[in-house]
Amino acid sequence: MKIYKVEKPLVATNRIPGMEHKHLQVVLDGKTRAVAVDSVGCSPGDWVICVGSSAARDAAGSRDYPSDLTIVGIIDYWDEGQG
Amino acid sequence: MDIVQVVGPLVCTRRHPGLHQYSLRLLRDAKGKYLVALDTCSSRPGNWVFVVSGSAARHGCGDPAVVTDLIIGGVIDFWDEQNGQA
Repeated sequence: MKIYKVEKPLVATNRIPGMEHKHLQVVLDGKTRAVAVDSVGCSPGDWVICVGSSAARDAAGSRDYPSDLTIVGIIDYWDEGQG
Repeated sequence: MDIVQVVGPLVCTRRHPGLHQYSLRLLRDAKGKYLVALDTCSSRPGNWVFVVSGSAARHGCGDPAVVTDLIIGGVIDFWDEQNGQA
């Protein structure tokens, strides 16, 4: 699992049917941006942990969900200096 | 499987139900990058451990329904960081 900072929600109305209406978040790994499915309900500025691989699909709701990055937890305390 | 060092515990109160109450560890790899793994073998800060990634990680913790892509496979008894030798 990797640590990311939530930047902002991502709104995409026109999407493939498999993506359903799940919330998407823009997450930052240093300066690199990625998009993750939000399964816990996080807010901008939160430090979160994300899973990839087959766990990302399961965590997003079902084995068939087309996600390769899903937020599975919000870190209670994170010192930005160490990361 | 990779060899990484345990930095310390990571607390996540709000988590996906699929993570259950498994304890999490903050790890640092050889390049200094931070990772998070599920811990089932009670590693301590400073321990060198090996991690299992991908879908193999889900089978490694005994319950394939757990939503993780990285678990600690075991604590290495002796590890010399300089030589990279056991």
